Amino acid sequence: MTEVTITGMNSITYPHLEVWNWLVAMYLFLGGLSAGILIMSAIANLRKWPDSASGPHCEKGVMFAPFILAFGMLFIFLDLERKTNIFWFYLTLQPFSPMSWGAWGIMIIIPVSFLYALSTAPPESRHNLRFGVLIKLSDMMWPHMKRLAMISFGLGIFLGIYTGVLLSNMLARPLWNSPILPVLFLTSASSTGAAFLIIVARRAAVKLFYTKLDIWLIFAEIVIIVLFFYGQYNSSVSSKASIMPFFTLSHEFFFYFFAVFLMAVLLPLALVMKLIEMREDHADVLSEATIFRMNLSAVMVLTGGLIIRLALIYAGQLVKFM
Amino acid sequence: MSKYVMVIDQRRCIGCMACIVACKAENDVPEEHFRTRVIQEVEGEFPKLRMELRSELCNHCDNPPCVYNCPTGASYKDKENGMVLLKKNRCVGCKACIASCPYDARYIDPRHGYADKCTFCSHRVAKGKEPACVQTCIGRSRIFGDIEDPESEVSLLLREHHHEVLKPAAGTEPNVYYINRILKG
Amino acid sequence: MPISRRDFLKYTSMAAAGTAVSLSDAELFSHLFAISPEPHEDVNYIPTYCEVCFWNCGAVAAVVNGKVKKLEGNPYDPRSRGKLCARGNAGVGELYDEDRLKHPMIRTGERGDGKYREASWDEALNYAAEKMTKIKNEYGPESVAFMMHGGITTHLMNLGKAFGSPNFGFPSYGQCRAARMVAYDLTYGADVGSPERVDMANSRVIVFFGTHLGENMHNSQVQDFTEALGSRAKIIVVDPRFSTAAGKADHWLPIRPGADMALMLAWINIIISEGLYDREYVDKYTAGFDELKESVKEYTPEWASKETDLPADIIVETARELGRYAPSVCVHPGRFTAWHGNDTQRERCIAILGAILGTWGREGGIYLPTKAPLAGAAGMSYPVPSRASIAKGPHAFAQPQLMQAVRRTTITADPYPIKAWVVAGTNILRAVPNPAKSIEAIMKLDLLIAIDIRPLDTAMMADVILPECTYLERHDALKIDRGVSLSVGIRQPVVEPLYKSKAGWWICKELGNRLGVGGYFPYETYEDHIKKECAAMNIDYDELTRVGTKFYPGTDNPYITNENQPVFKTPSGKIELYSSRLAEQGFAPIPKYNRIEQPEKGWFRLLSGRSPVHSFSRTANNQKLFELFEENVLWINAKVAFSMGIRDGQNIILVNQDNIMSEIIKAKVTQRIRNDCVYMVHGFGAKSRLLSRAYGRGADDSRLMTRFIADPISGSTGMRVNFVRIEKA
Repeated sequence: MTEVTITGMNSITYPHLEVWNWLVAMYLFLGGLSAGILIMSAIANLRKWPDSASGPHCEKGVMFAPFILAFGMLFIFLDLERKTNIFWFYLTLQPFSPMSWGAWGIMIIIPVSFLYALSTAPPESRHNLRFGVLIKLSDMMWPHMKRLAMISFGLGIFLGIYTGVLLSNMLARPLWNSPILPVLFLTSASSTGAAFLIIVARRAAVKLFYTKLDIWLIFAEIVIIVLFFYGQYNSSVSSKASIMPFFTLSHEFFFYFFAVFLMAVLLPLALVMKLIEMREDHADVLSEATIFRMNLSAVMVLTGGLIIRLALIYAGQLVKFM
Repeated sequence: MSKYVMVIDQRRCIGCMACIVACKAENDVPEEHFRTRVIQEVEGEFPKLRMELRSELCNHCDNPPCVYNCPTGASYKDKENGMVLLKKNRCVGCKACIASCPYDARYIDPRHGYADKCTFCSHRVAKGKEPACVQTCIGRSRIFGDIEDPESEVSLLLREHHHEVLKPAAGTEPNVYYINRILKG
Repeated sequence: MPISRRDFLKYTSMAAAGTAVSLSDAELFSHLFAISPEPHEDVNYIPTYCEVCFWNCGAVAAVVNGKVKKLEGNPYDPRSRGKLCARGNAGVGELYDEDRLKHPMIRTGERGDGKYREASWDEALNYAAEKMTKIKNEYGPESVAFMMHGGITTHLMNLGKAFGSPNFGFPSYGQCRAARMVAYDLTYGADVGSPERVDMANSRVIVFFGTHLGENMHNSQVQDFTEALGSRAKIIVVDPRFSTAAGKADHWLPIRPGADMALMLAWINIIISEGLYDREYVDKYTAGFDELKESVKEYTPEWASKETDLPADIIVETARELGRYAPSVCVHPGRFTAWHGNDTQRERCIAILGAILGTWGREGGIYLPTKAPLAGAAGMSYPVPSRASIAKGPHAFAQPQLMQAVRRTTITADPYPIKAWVVAGTNILRAVPNPAKSIEAIMKLDLLIAIDIRPLDTAMMADVILPECTYLERHDALKIDRGVSLSVGIRQPVVEPLYKSKAGWWICKELGNRLGVGGYFPYETYEDHIKKECAAMNIDYDELTRVGTKFYPGTDNPYITNENQPVFKTPSGKIELYSSRLAEQGFAPIPKYNRIEQPEKGWFRLLSGRSPVHSFSRTANNQKLFELFEENVLWINAKVAFSMGIRDGQNIILVNQDNIMSEIIKAKVTQRIRNDCVYMVHGFGAKSRLLSRAYGRGADDSRLMTRFIADPISGSTGMRVNFVRIEKA
């Protein structure tokens, strides 16, 4: 038995770390979501479609990416204790600080993804952009769509990984300090991106395309989550301790246990629903019931993505490096 | 070039907490916030008990995660004296440094929002004085000095004693050393 | 040649002492601080001495634009040696406590209901003086008792004696040091002093009986103790609780509470029978050795083992260690000695143990007092009271300072009534066991005057409250330390008094003026008086105000040498192992062991002690200390707690043998205490709502001490005789 008496601890670090809350989780989720949208739409726009329907796809969905990312940034901005000093992010580049890379990255991703979104607007619907400047810009970008898609794919991968690296480089927090975490976040980001595009897309072919992709992504996500916990369990004392909140059924850790439970239900359920969709024959126009099922499973995936971020943000602060 | 370190001779610590209060007065640390702490650990079962008293503070690491994680360069390692310090006007209060510190050395100053911490009393050291906690340490348990100077008290102590640092596996290369092996007889 | 750390420290402290007399720069202390003032800021470094506790360490305040920024220890002061403890460092928290008493108040409601109105100083002082005069006229001046602690003592004693009362109460006597003072006086013809003249820094073996230095932050003494730790002295701690000091010990002896004398007597027996005592020293300086030898024969290690619950071989081993390293052995005499009602005899055992080991006047033992002369100013001559003091009680060797005697007489009016109390700087309701009895006495009074800095519980019972300023805002008497070496320290204001608070000397003088004894305060300001005293003692006043403490190097007279022989002011002129004075009064001339009552199953002996960051109840509201230690907890043995189903941190209530219930207190379930006792830090459970932080925090130990056993020899109130049981809250 060890009796520990500590005199002089700060409430932000004791009894456990309490620096980041749901604001940061939202930032990571929305950042990941926009990354996923960019990656997924780039795949759709760069691949050769079997049918005659070439040209850009899910153009509406892409337009969400810069705004979701900017919205996500708002959350991290709200979390800053000295908001008026935010300009310091852009007066320096700290090579070892993921947050510095992220700040700069986002500054590039927002305009590039916006241009990418404009480039995907087909001529017949370009009038929807309303502003002359935007329509003109869209005209200019249209020929560079494939190139912008390629760049956006790269930026999306960067952004998806960044949201994980932001946490995983902190040795002091064993739950976060795993190289699997960026991979998990990237996979989850792609999966939520696909889910989002399923909801937004109109054409059956596109919806089914993302449903198919998402099957693989969800499957990968489940495998990575299991591997993540398994790896933590078989690692150092601190790492092992760090996942205990998820597997302790007590009042104190109920939230974490519940998160794992939800993941164990939502992800496989979404996977099964998607598998069923793929086995059915669909006409060019999807039935209302099919769309509802697709959207429902997409919402499950999105919810799952948010739960992962929330659970990891909070749980990661409970156990520190021993 | 100097490199300042602190040696904490745990055998001499009596857990009086003078360091905590002196530090707060010297550095105008806000209420309910602390830059140094005292940990008392008792192991064993009655009547076979062992006590460890350990005062902790920022380790002014040679490999400081808080500096690496700072997105604005507000946290920096002073090249002249080896201290890990903060340019307060640059801090945005993102708290990455707090999360990345394995020693829980930092806090947010509620009045200004920056992520403050122990400075080894750099303002005192600049004037040739010891840090406030060292100055007031009743047991002379805290010893401060330049490890680059082979004749300094800290160099002598570290040469003559087995010493350890906190969480060496974290790879932070701390500059606060602990002497605790009790050599009796 | 490498210089050892200890030599290095000796060298630096000598250098510091040496420079003290040669430096005369007004900015003497600026080098202590690293304050960089703005151009418009005015910085002063003013030395004074601390009063967050009674150790009175020399301190220096850095005052920036009239605000105290920081306190540092005065390096020239022998009690701080340039270092302040947590409490000393938190002196600013005393000064800027927004809950301080801000103006004089006169009671409007019933006594104790906390209803007061603000009054001017003139009105409040007149009110107090009129009532005191009325009582004097009706019942005589003896019917006014004065109780005090701290810096105001000089002034209030002066007022009380001038007023004509012989009745003074000091909790620091009967509730703390009395047994030790009497025991050492009986044995050596002198007390060990305050600070105790223990040479721990040079000890090879240190023994603590219940003394928990480290939790008890007596600055210079703790510094000496840590020096001993650094030089690997053997530490033996006898304590039912694993204190911080026990955590540093080579031998922690978790003794059965109340059996300390059994261990001491067995040690004496072993040391004598194994010939480990200092034969030459004993022959030369002690009287009654043969009687002692005969008397302790019966106290064998095996017998002591049964009494103390300690293994016999450990008792023998530790006794041999004492003998092996004698005379560099410091058996600490303790300070809070009011334990079980046999306290003087227990302290006698410590004194005797030290004597046969030859420690008095030997390196690592007890220093001899300084022989330095210091002619003081002529004392006052006071009127001789027509009735004797009741404050001595029925105790043969007690000084007339017993709080409990004053309280008892207040209730019984025997032999004459006590009608008024003037209480200053002490929280009687916490400091004296059984506050219910104190309240009973207070309710019988015609007048209760409280002079205090904070609205502590006792002050909030008063009819008139006179707000004193803190030690950082006032002059007090010179601190003349005639312990190991001679030093003189000054307390002087570093800032002007805040609010309408006033210095203690001013309050006493103004009260004196109104009582017609103004002649006993022959000064306009107390500073004038200090100047006069300095002149009489041939001290440069201006220098003293700059250096704070004037230390006289070379005035120590630490050890016995051929030329330097100790003087024992006992009837025999020797260390009295056999006390003829005790024999005369019918007490055991050599301590005899008597078993004390032990708690029955389900009951625990209540022990209390100190936190290193608090001085009794008076610092509980100091924000800078409160944030480190907000409330006390009840230590309870883990096995016992487990069997009772008490979890760590659970709220519990204690009920004592007289069915008195405690406030709610949190349990600290711990391996660090025996299973027959429980422990809490003293000074919590404040009832005064005006203490915004301390109010209602933790539990009050004195409330559960409805029983105390007054030691017949010294009047020391043994408080560790209360048993409690534990109930879940």
